[in-house]
Amino acid sequence: MSESIVQKYVIPNSKICYWELNDNTSFWSLAFIAALGYDTSKIETNLDFFLNQIIHSKNKSVFKDNFYNLVRYDVNFKQNIFLLNNEGEYDEYICKTNEELDVNLKTDSKAVYFFKAKIKTHEKVNGDYYSRETAEMTSIGSWYIDFENKSTYWDQITRKILKYPEDYIPSLRMAPKLNAEEYQAIVADAYFNCAMSGTPFDLEILMVKSTNEKFWARVIGKPVFNHDKEIIGVRGIFQDIDDFKMKEIHLKRTSEIIASQNSRLFNFAHIVSHNLRSHSSNLELIVHYIESIDDPKEQLELLGTIKDVSGSLNKTIEHLNEVVTIQTNADQHKENVSIETTLKQVCTSISQIISTNEAMITSNFEAGDVISYVPAYMDSIILNILTNAIKYKHPDRHPIINFKTSIDFKNEDRLILEISDNGIGIDMEKFGDKLFGMYKTFHYNKDAVGIGLFITKNQIESLNGEITVDSKVDKGTTFTIKF
Amino acid sequence: MTEKIKMACIIDDDSIYVNLVKKIIETKKLCDNLLIFNNGKDGIDYFESILQNLGHNDIPEIILLDINMPVMDGWEFIERFTKIQNKFKKRITLYVVSSSINATEIEKAKSLSSVENYLVKPVNIDELEAVFARTA
Repeated sequence: MSESIVQKYVIPNSKICYWELNDNTSFWSLAFIAALGYDTSKIETNLDFFLNQIIHSKNKSVFKDNFYNLVRYDVNFKQNIFLLNNEGEYDEYICKTNEELDVNLKTDSKAVYFFKAKIKTHEKVNGDYYSRETAEMTSIGSWYIDFENKSTYWDQITRKILKYPEDYIPSLRMAPKLNAEEYQAIVADAYFNCAMSGTPFDLEILMVKSTNEKFWARVIGKPVFNHDKEIIGVRGIFQDIDDFKMKEIHLKRTSEIIASQNSRLFNFAHIVSHNLRSHSSNLELIVHYIESIDDPKEQLELLGTIKDVSGSLNKTIEHLNEVVTIQTNADQHKENVSIETTLKQVCTSISQIISTNEAMITSNFEAGDVISYVPAYMDSIILNILTNAIKYKHPDRHPIINFKTSIDFKNEDRLILEISDNGIGIDMEKFGDKLFGMYKTFHYNKDAVGIGLFITKNQIESLNGEITVDSKVDKGTTFTIKF
Repeated sequence: MTEKIKMACIIDDDSIYVNLVKKIIETKKLCDNLLIFNNGKDGIDYFESILQNLGHNDIPEIILLDINMPVMDGWEFIERFTKIQNKFKKRITLYVVSSSINATEIEKAKSLSSVENYLVKPVNIDELEAVFARTA
């Protein structure tokens, strides 16, 4: 085999794998044969052998075309191919012609070079695939606001998260409607601070999809600077964290319920220690006193006091029973209950009280009216709060009590009932934490027992709801019930 | 010991207890006059008003104060009473009498300088007599 021109003049490096093509023959460099691990004596260095024995069948036809085009029409090419080595495995090579090489290797003869691929092509593809897949699986979309061109860019994942079409062009003008109303000011502030002073931001907000569906998102933004250190844009990501946030909200709610159950148990222990004890200690005092006096007439008189004590003891136990029943009954008898109908029934049953006090009752149940609830509880809750509002009316004005429902969009669309009055109100700082306690009364009313709101709270919480109160002395009180 | 207490004051919302103690005080003739208030607010209103208007004879020498009461509880009464206690020309001894056996409450009450002692209900007659005797 004659020494090749290329080998002699152009590439004295014996490590290079190549073919040199002259007329109808081809010269295969020793390095090429060695790279594949073949013994020169056992192979034929011609195209047919190469096509049939060495190149992977999937590369065969393309290579054949490329090769003929090079030989006949001087068309350069670059192709990734798999070649069978002596061990029966395929290695990946990048096959290039003169023109495709970075180095100037121009000669008169034609050559085909083979470079072993450093990174296997399919892995490289996988790398891109993985990072895109990661972004997609974790629902992280990226965005960029370019101040110089006054335009906004989204990647496809952002479009997908926000449910906008793939060819949708975002603009700064539409940006506010991506955020739920209650977060628009916060977001606008964060963007402004980032754009003006370069403060990065990381927020958890409710965003709105093109379908008007709301979801929790984490939005991170950082300023982008030019060479003069001027801020020319804001770059960042959106992440759909709705699942996590919902779980977090749920967990938070559960822990709140547990905390309030704990405080109810505490209250219970207090009731046992205080309220039951006060009866038993009265009994003890009476007995002690009876023993100390000799006059039978007076002793008989004291027996009457025992009757009083046993009466109040019974009352207390009745109240405790009521509370215990609530705890055990929570799962039973849930039905679809209309708040409006219940309110009407309650008003009828206490129409006497309403008319004597000239109370006015207004309501708006447009946001929601029917929920699955224990009917007796709904009845008792409304009755309790309504009679309280009338009982603690302001001396200077007729009571006005307003019932209104709304939906908590942030919190699984739970129904909220707000009951507000214009009564005497209550000092929240002093009594706020005691309002729902047992036997806590705050006003001078003689018939105040301090059991109503305690029962109400227990009923609501036994069905996983919440009740809160806000009040201003002389202005009125608002109870908010989340069902 | 020689001087009998002229006036005592009970601040408690438990009417059965109040009536019993009243009866014991009357029978045992522990004092001449007894003031009774159903909650801390009525009690403090009285003490704040006698500072200005009433004479020496309207000031009780002894107060038996409950803790759990509506409108104004015993703690708040003590807080406000402490502020005016020194303005009276007579020593007023304050006892907390409650059925609560909560250790933190008992300690809290005993730690207050204006509180002479904490008595757990039921107070027995001997205890009551001792309280009235010691103060006198």
